[in-house]
Parts: sequence; C-alpha cells; structure tokens
Amino acid sequence: MYDAISAEERGIPAVAIISDGFLEDARSASSSRAMPGVRYVPTTVPPESTLKDVIEAGVLAAVDDILKAAVAPLTAPERSPQPKPTEKITRIVFKGDLDEVNRFYYGRGWTDGFPIIPPTEEKVAEMLTGTDLPPDTLLGKLIPRLGKVTVEKIAVNAVMAGALPTYMPVLIAATRLLLNSEMGFLGFCTFGVSTGSWSPFWVINGPIRNEINLNSSSGTLSPGNIANAAIGRAMGLIIKNIGGIRKGIEDMGVMGNPMKYTMVMAENEEASPWEPLHTEYGLKKGDNSVMISFPQSYIQHYPPSSDPEGIMRSVVNNIVPGMVYTVVFPPVHAKTLASLGWTKQDIKDYICKNARMDANRQRSMISRDTSESNENKENSVPIIRDPRTLRILVAGGPGAFIAHAIGGGPTQGKTEIGKIELPSGWDKLVKKYRNIVPNYVRY
Amino acid sequence: MNQKKVTPLYEVISPWAEADPVPPRGLTVERPTDLNGKTIGLFHIWKRASKPILEVMERELKKRFPAARFSWYTESRMNTPEIESDNIAKYEAWLKGLDTVLFAYGD
Repeated sequence: MYDAISAEERGIPAVAIISDGFLEDARSASSSRAMPGVRYVPTTVPPESTLKDVIEAGVLAAVDDILKAAVAPLTAPERSPQPKPTEKITRIVFKGDLDEVNRFYYGRGWTDGFPIIPPTEEKVAEMLTGTDLPPDTLLGKLIPRLGKVTVEKIAVNAVMAGALPTYMPVLIAATRLLLNSEMGFLGFCTFGVSTGSWSPFWVINGPIRNEINLNSSSGTLSPGNIANAAIGRAMGLIIKNIGGIRKGIEDMGVMGNPMKYTMVMAENEEASPWEPLHTEYGLKKGDNSVMISFPQSYIQHYPPSSDPEGIMRSVVNNIVPGMVYTVVFPPVHAKTLASLGWTKQDIKDYICKNARMDANRQRSMISRDTSESNENKENSVPIIRDPRTLRILVAGGPGAFIAHAIGGGPTQGKTEIGKIELPSGWDKLVKKYRNIVPNYVRY
Repeated sequence: MNQKKVTPLYEVISPWAEADPVPPRGLTVERPTDLNGKTIGLFHIWKRASKPILEVMERELKKRFPAARFSWYTESRMNTPEIESDNIAKYEAWLKGLDTVLFAYGD
C-alpha cells in the first residue's frame, strides 16, 4: 500500500493488488498515510502461494476489477475524501465495578484478554511516582497509528497490566526503543504487524533487576514474578493502545505467539562468568538497560555432555535460520566454558563457523523463484554470517538446558538497547515495593 | 443487623492514545481511459505470489491491449517502502516513464 501511495504522490496512477485477507490492514495503511482513496483490489491468492493454478484462478477472477481500478475516472470522494471524524478521547471513560470495568475495556479491544487492574486516578498517580517526568510529557508518536506517547498513557497501561511504580523507568526506556525503531523490514512496525507473529523480547541488565525483583534465575521466563509478567504485559498493551496494533486488524500474525503476553528476561549477572550483555553495547556494568529483539520462536535443548564440545555441539546443532539470535546459557555451562577460556566472542565465532546448513536448503527458503536449480548441492553455508546478530547471555537456574530465542530485531547499528534512567528518590521507592515477593509455603 | 455489601466503583482513565488528525489527501492524477499504447508498470515485492500475479496480469493485459508496453520493477529491500530504500532515485526515475502502475502483492 505504501508503494502505491508513493506512486500517487509522484503523479502516477496506481492500483495495489492485495490479498483478500488483508482488507482491514489495507484500510489502516491507507488511512495512516492519509490517502484513503488509494485504489486497491483484493484477490483470493494467498501471499505465499507458489501454486500456479491458484494464482491463475485468483487473478483471473479479479482481473476485471483491477482493470476497472486502473481506468475508472476519479470519483468525488476519491478527489476530496472527507476527514474522519475527530476521535474524541475522554480522559475518564467509564465508571463501574470491577467486572463492569473489565467488560468495558475488553469490549473496546483495550486488553490482552486477561482481566485488568482498573486504571483509576489514584492508581495512575501512584504509578507516576515511578518517574520524574510530568504526566503530559510527550515522548513521541508510536507507529503505525502515530498515537501520542505520553508518560501518563504509559502509566495507565502499566496499571492495567498490574505493574508496580518501580517498573516505570523500564517501561519508559522500553517505549523509547519502540519509538526509535525504524520503519521497514527490520523495524518495530513490521515486526508488530507481520504475518510472522514476532514477539517483543525484553532483556534487562543492571542493578535494577534485583531492585524490582526481576527473576533471572530458575524459570526466568515462566509465570510467577510480577516484574517479568507485568513489564512485558504492559509493553504489549502500550503497543496495542498507543501504537494501535490490534490482532487481526493491524497485527496479521498468522498463528500468533504466546510470547506476546510477556517475554521479559533479566540476565543472571551474578551467576555469569562473563561481562553483562549491556556492557557489550557501550554501557557500564552499573548502568541499567533494556534491550529489544523480536523472536518468533523459542527452543530449549539439552547437551549430550557437559564439556565444551558437547555444549557447543548442542548449540550449533540447534541453530536454525533467524535474523537476530539470542543464545541463553544456564550458569553451569557458562562457567564451564569460561573456565576453559571461552569468551562470548569465541562462542559467537564458533557458532558462525560451525552452524551450517545445506546451501540448497537455504536457497529454497529464500528463493523468490521456486524453480531455481541448485548446482552446488554439496556445499554448505553458514546459518549465521554476522556475529553481531548473535547475543549471548546467562540466565536461568540450576540445570543444563540451553535456550535459543530465534527471530528478528533492529537493523545492526540501529538502537536496540536503551539506558534506563531512574527517578529521584529511587531508593525510597524501591524500599516501598521491594518486599512484594511470593513466599511459597513449603510442603 | 444486616450490613449492605458495597461494591466499589472505579472511575477509570482511557488507555487509548490521542492521535493528531491527519487531513486526508485526495487522488489528483487522472486515470488513463485506455491502456492501449500506454506503459504499465509492474512492481512486485518479495512475497512469493507477487511476481506470478503480475505475470498473469501482463499476459491478460497484452491480450486486451496489444499496444500496451510493460516495465518491471522489483523491490530492493524486503518489506521496506521503496521510497525509504537506498534506491529511491532509481524508483522515482522508473515511475516517471509510466502511465499507470500495478503493485503486488499487498498483505
């Protein structure tokens, strides 16, 4: 749609041929670029189809409509589209009991399906104690809807997610990462709306991990800790309610992804023999940071032996193609590798050298022309060519499983990590909320 | 003594962000009334069905408009609008030679 609009802007009449499953997406795209009249014609052809008869039938059924769109004179609404009625955003939107509030928000499409904490004036004011920024501070406009990111809107969504005020510095830094993200294939906009169901994956480093009780040990990605749960959940709501990415309308993920509920990991810096992740990106060990990537998949594997050969063979054997790759070692393997001289860079280089795939397999995955022949079938090629797309970190508890988060992320060199700025009175705030932790009854 | 249970009521703030209204732009370029003798651009992206769709269109257009000419363009960077790619100058030069253009495939 954006290309068709760019042609119209340059004086060339355009028709976009689109998949009929993406009509809502096309409407949103043309509206967000302020050219609602740009012409598009749906066909029944699936976007990834390589079936000639399916393509033939789908196009032939639409060819008359496509031709009509190419030659039909402009209509008055196309020449002078009416402005959309200005959306009136009332600050206080509802009054009701817990169930009524939840049904109202759910009915508006503002939740992730789980019940929310009602964002009352009092709760939002409490959340705002987690920042020095005034509530009306405008951080930017979040694509694709270009919703205004104010500190108060972050706080409202944070309350809904069940966050504590001490998470606000993380949420603000994480939202800034989304705002910095570029448009295009490697940017947040594409990952957020893609059929690939990519999920934001947040990695947090620095002393704040312990101050807000982020779990970096056993089950770091499992439910049970407010910080890991609510930070990711709040970011999902921010993407939805500020960025305007809604499932099945703008977010056209085919299968969806449970990681979209929340995927927040803190590096287990205390158990790591290596430098923390954020120091590889120019930050100091005492700094707090949040890093973003957009994995599509998450796998875990168990090495055949606990020596470096077994550990690294298992890692290499489980590398599959992805754009940005995070390998998470449990402390036990990290310590073994480090004790024998392995650095993070050694691991990256080893993976790039040894994780290989059949050249023909790679070509068939990315080929635009499925009839492409392969004359070098015996050759293998590296799965990961650029070690900068690899992230190595240490997290999790006792045990031998290694995790891979496989997917996408910002283009190399673009902002992918943000420093978390703490408000004045941070220590006092931490003290207030620090004891909110689960105390499990032993049985 | 019976005490009436009081259900707390919550006045709640909208999580939905404000967005500045953007004045819609109308289409300004007249459409060609006949494609015969015209140059038709065929722009395809990386999605697998894109090029085959336009190949069918080219064939059908040739049948109906034998004097039509065709000019192909392949997006230079996956999922990136061409005007945001490094090839914007090439793209704009290509557009200048066209009377109309078909884009495939939107998803």
